[in-house]
Amino acid sequence: MRLTILRPRGGLTPTIVVIVALALLPVIGVPRIWFLYIFLFFIYLAMANMWNLLSGYSGLVSLCPAAFVGLGGYTLAIMTWLGLPYYAGIILGSITAALFAMLISIPVFRLKGIYFAIGTLVVPEILRFAFLLWKPVGGAIHGRGAGYTVKGVAGLSQAQVYWFALAIGIASIFLMRYILRSRLGRGLAAIRDNESTAASCGINVFNLKLYSFVISAFITGMAGTILYIYQGYIEPASAFNVRWLITIMLATVIGGIGTEEGPIVGTIIVVFLYFVLAKYAEISLIIQGVILIGIMLLAPRGIMGIIRETPSYRFMLQWVTRC
Amino acid sequence: MAFVNELATPIVMGILLGGLYAVVALGLSLVFGVVKEINIAHGDLVVLGSYFGYVAMTVFGIDPILSLLIGMPVLFGIGFMIQKYLLNRAFRVSMDAVLIIAFGLSIILENIFLKVWTPMSRGLTTPYALSSFSIGSIRFPLVYFLDFIVAIIVMILLREFLKRTYLGIAIRAAAQDRKAAHLMGINTARVYAFTFAISMVIAAIGGVFLGLTFPFTPVSGMSFLIIALGVVVLGGLGSIAGTFVGGILFGLAQTVGGHFFGLAAQMLVAYTMVLVVLALIPRGIFGR
Repeated sequence: MRLTILRPRGGLTPTIVVIVALALLPVIGVPRIWFLYIFLFFIYLAMANMWNLLSGYSGLVSLCPAAFVGLGGYTLAIMTWLGLPYYAGIILGSITAALFAMLISIPVFRLKGIYFAIGTLVVPEILRFAFLLWKPVGGAIHGRGAGYTVKGVAGLSQAQVYWFALAIGIASIFLMRYILRSRLGRGLAAIRDNESTAASCGINVFNLKLYSFVISAFITGMAGTILYIYQGYIEPASAFNVRWLITIMLATVIGGIGTEEGPIVGTIIVVFLYFVLAKYAEISLIIQGVILIGIMLLAPRGIMGIIRETPSYRFMLQWVTRC
Repeated sequence: MAFVNELATPIVMGILLGGLYAVVALGLSLVFGVVKEINIAHGDLVVLGSYFGYVAMTVFGIDPILSLLIGMPVLFGIGFMIQKYLLNRAFRVSMDAVLIIAFGLSIILENIFLKVWTPMSRGLTTPYALSSFSIGSIRFPLVYFLDFIVAIIVMILLREFLKRTYLGIAIRAAAQDRKAAHLMGINTARVYAFTFAISMVIAAIGGVFLGLTFPFTPVSGMSFLIIALGVVVLGGLGSIAGTFVGGILFGLAQTVGGHFFGLAAQMLVAYTMVLVVLALIPRGIFGR
């Protein structure tokens, strides 16, 4: 059977138009508050895509994105304190997160399923305690624990930080497309369908899961560094907070776990939700919890799961991909 | 000799504290052993038990331990509902769905606590919670001793219940082989709901005694969950004796670690031990 790959009309042109339009947003001057939400959208999008890679495609429900976000941010802050430029901080931050993922894969990959969840749940808490006690570089300690300002980013304009976020957000989408069509992605799909069959076909289950865990840590860490360039200040309680996990999980679940478009749709909804609920900060998380449970019970494949079943989606897909 | 004397206090404290941790972890261990699900909301449900005792004490003036007479049935009901209407349904989707729904439950509970009881740290301060007694030259808080006694009582009761009653036997059957139990005419969905409800009763007891021992906040659930997970991992999932030994080891790691590395690092030592145990003996000490 010949494999037909569906390609959208007009090749890459529509995609490029959208990216350029998004990149021009700071130049044409959108309101400041919008700007913040669009910035956050790209950061969350990158993280949600990576969480989707783990939970949707690799069968690993990771509870520790906060560890990578926080480690990326801390590496950035420490590097700028040591006098390195911020872009070195971004790269080193991502590498630190990836190396750390390799390190913790020793305990958390030992047994399947439940143990992975337990191991990854403990990791951010350990890091939070460690950074509360450990003072990596000299300087002012604000309140309890080691809070640091990120140095050497004062020269950056808001637009530049926005472009970084845009780059990581878009890059995460293309990376997902690439991974899922590569040997890694096809191997993961085989593992998802039947792990023992995949293993007996010569797929190295352990290694493929480890690769996706490390890639996910790298990109999540990078998104973390960019976020902390924007915030300019990092401290352990917020860096290793469970809120990261809530946001990322909610975005992926709403959009649809295990669908490529899911995190994009989900992140748009989550960011919009934050915008709407900003006034009701007290009950915001209660509502998010209810949504999480509701979607999981009523539509476990999320919005994209529902849309994919409808005839109009197939019609639209046909129209878009007709040559 | 002075060294031994110095170490005696943290060791005895650790063992007594271990009893409390075993009670907190017992519910989690039971649900894992029978239903094969990790209840991420367990810590927050324990804190719910603590707040129940707090309300009984401050609003109605009832002693927190006596309030368990009402608290245990209430949490039994809540637990039954959670398993019946949320988690049993999630089973049909996937095991990941169970994990995510329990996580959602934990977010909801934590934020309801925050809204109702404010972020302030609370404690169940009864007259006996502050008194202490001494063995030889070492002084102990009385509650630590109570914790240990209660742990032993709860464990013996649970063991006898699982051994002798019809429901207990049904629970063990469902734990061993779900399908076979089903074929023998056991309504496994109902058995799961009862198991979860019983685990909530133990959580209620654990919550009140935790509240007597330590101050708690709306976000304490996470650290109680990690303590419980650590205990269960150490002892091996799904065994009562293992949970007890795991609790004592965890308590010892905390107090002895605190003795050597300072109080601020005691939880760091205990949590790190969980990861080290996962790396070295992933099935725990009593695991099969």
